[in-house]
Amino acid sequence: MREWATKEPMSMPILIDKYHIVADLYGIVNVPAAVWVDEDSKIVRPADSVPGSDMFRSFTNVDSEVHHSLLRKWVRTGERDLNDQQVREFQVSPDQDLQLARLHRRIAIALRESGTDADGVSVHLARAEELAPLDWTIRRGNMPLVGADPFGDEFFKFVGQWSQAGRPGFKLGTGRTDI
Amino acid sequence: MTVGLIINQNGETASVEVASNFGEFAISLDDFATITGWQLKPEGLCIAENCVPVRDAKMLTNHTHIDLIEFARVTNQNIAVDQQRKVAALGEQADVRSEAMTTLDAPDFTLPDIHGRQVSFSDYNRRKRLLLAWSSW
Repeated sequence: MREWATKEPMSMPILIDKYHIVADLYGIVNVPAAVWVDEDSKIVRPADSVPGSDMFRSFTNVDSEVHHSLLRKWVRTGERDLNDQQVREFQVSPDQDLQLARLHRRIAIALRESGTDADGVSVHLARAEELAPLDWTIRRGNMPLVGADPFGDEFFKFVGQWSQAGRPGFKLGTGRTDI
Repeated sequence: MTVGLIINQNGETASVEVASNFGEFAISLDDFATITGWQLKPEGLCIAENCVPVRDAKMLTNHTHIDLIEFARVTNQNIAVDQQRKVAALGEQADVRSEAMTTLDAPDFTLPDIHGRQVSFSDYNRRKRLLLAWSSW
């Protein structure tokens, strides 16, 4: 990531969140996602799936320009597309299983860093997946940690399960062309 | 005593000694205050100005150590524990998190940037902020 992020000069800070703290705080269930926060530190647009480009549009059915255009408008004029009540309505609240899954994932990450206990890493990643089988930050987030390709067979198997379950997760659907 | 690892709800970690003669996962009062931000006082378990009464102090503490599992229960926090490997992770319960989200207050957090420097979301207070979550895979 460092290599990519330093290739072009960027003024925004790029932070590494190995324990998924921000996902926990802001109800982020997949990446890429964006949250808008205003000058008074209020959330004015909740986490939603917002691709930076149309590269995966045939898969996501998201027109990335829709979010970009809403964002430009808010930055320039302060005009929002959602009111506070809508922000609350479209937030994704966690359940206890997801909260516990996050903790098991953190234990796995810590054990992985200590580097001596591969069994411990597997046990806690598996426990996290049992608890939150449909959460992308858990299921797909675990793939690189166990050597699975986050764009490969495991990924498409997960997408199948998630679709069958009615695509739980982000509710807003910014720029979706199929709904 | 055995060495254990605690991960707090902010993702900060501390290596601590875990008591062998008290509780299920008990650590010293000093380590406890450092890693959790909570303190044991005569009025109960306290963080900043807020205190939670402790009904059964004998379960919680032996006056030198405090049991993290009982602490999590008394203060309504989640805890995941690996007893074999002596690792514990503390976090917010779903209803506490959901309630906090409805205030629309943007929670602060501090994380290392790609150069290893600690950056807080609040370093950018009083500006519009776009918080983007992504992965390089």
